Amino acid sequence: MAFPLPRGTTPSEIGFLAEMEMVTVVPRQRLEGLELLGGPIEPLVPPRRASLPLWLALLLKRQRRANIMPPTWLHPEPLGLILEVESQHQDYKNAFSPPPPLPGQPSVRDHDAVPLARPQYTPDGGRYYASPPFLPQNTAQENVSPDELPALPFHWLEIGNMLLESASDDLVDSDQIRRLMKDLREVRLAKMRAGTDVLDAAATGGGGVALTGVGAMEVGEERGFLTGVVDNLRKIGASKEQARREQMAEQRANGGYDGAQDDEEEDYMEF
Amino acid sequence: MSYYDIDSILTDAQKLPCTFELEVPGLGILEGNPGEDIKSGTRIDLPLWLGEMLSIGARLGTSRLVTLDMPPALTERVMNALKADPRTVDLRALAPHFYSLGERILELFEEEEMVDVLTDTFKKRSAEISDHAHNPRGAVGDGVEFLRGLDETERQLFRAAHDRAKEMRIWAGEAKRK
Repeated sequence: MAFPLPRGTTPSEIGFLAEMEMVTVVPRQRLEGLELLGGPIEPLVPPRRASLPLWLALLLKRQRRANIMPPTWLHPEPLGLILEVESQHQDYKNAFSPPPPLPGQPSVRDHDAVPLARPQYTPDGGRYYASPPFLPQNTAQENVSPDELPALPFHWLEIGNMLLESASDDLVDSDQIRRLMKDLREVRLAKMRAGTDVLDAAATGGGGVALTGVGAMEVGEERGFLTGVVDNLRKIGASKEQARREQMAEQRANGGYDGAQDDEEEDYMEF
Repeated sequence: MSYYDIDSILTDAQKLPCTFELEVPGLGILEGNPGEDIKSGTRIDLPLWLGEMLSIGARLGTSRLVTLDMPPALTERVMNALKADPRTVDLRALAPHFYSLGERILELFEEEEMVDVLTDTFKKRSAEISDHAHNPRGAVGDGVEFLRGLDETERQLFRAAHDRAKEMRIWAGEAKRK
């Protein structure tokens, strides 16, 4: 094989991407502002909190120049709540717990509400809607509204692991967190495995499988397996699909134009 | 399926029972007696690619040279066994490229039921493969019997899942890099 690495991203690559996430630190020493490629860093003045990329925060932490404030979700109580939703809640028996809401997105409870996204503007005046990874999902928030459910961000596994590894003394009850993270991972792995049964929906025309709330590392881990399964299911079902296609073409030739049929055809073509 | 895909080439080389409809002079070499003729009605196992070529006359409207039969790996008996319990069937013993063979056969024959059986088999078995791939002790223990019976497609799947799970454990510091 020419290229030694498998397709997709490796765990260390995903970890590298996760290091771009902003976290909150409490500096112990002064540090002048830095002009980084990802944007300028405000000067660090103890004891004022600051947001830094995770890689810089970990570096300062190792040099004992800063303490990392754990992200809002990385505490025993929110993790316990998420684990409960993940394992007990009826609605999420076969689904992953919902990801953090996007700005303007109504929370899970009132899902009838119309999403109200507030656009942001670039320095040139271009309008855009911020989305992860440009949303601070891993900073420590002071005032969390009580009706906001805790949620796992996209990079939860990576950030949790890295913080447990190099900043466990900054976390609240790190042993408990470690245990909860492990339980969460196992529950979600089991769901991923159970999801193999619905994968043939993805292999037929117009179908799909919802992976809402799955983290980056989990996607990276399952990519090779899931795509392999779907690909092979598609190949096995190819002759049936072909027959369906012919039948549909025949129907269309006989029946002339029909609106409903056209819709179906369109779904099918999208795949 | 690409031209250089070794698995595709090996699939093409799998044998398919064919019955000659016409008498072919001088082709006795296929039967093991060179120089002789092949009588009509002779049954010979031919590689998939050759059998497909020879049977193609039917589509062109001329009388066909051979008629194809189901390969032994995809007979009714095997389908029934797969319907009963997909996990206990040793696919590798039936055909090393079981699913690829199935795909090719389904292109040639119209077998609605076989599509369903194969799809169901593959789904059930891939869930099992995923379980074994996440077993940190690797392919040892109770799974050996099952894993030995995986066909080539399933092996690739197992490898993909297993390597990823292992890389994850190494990254998380639970396992040592070997």
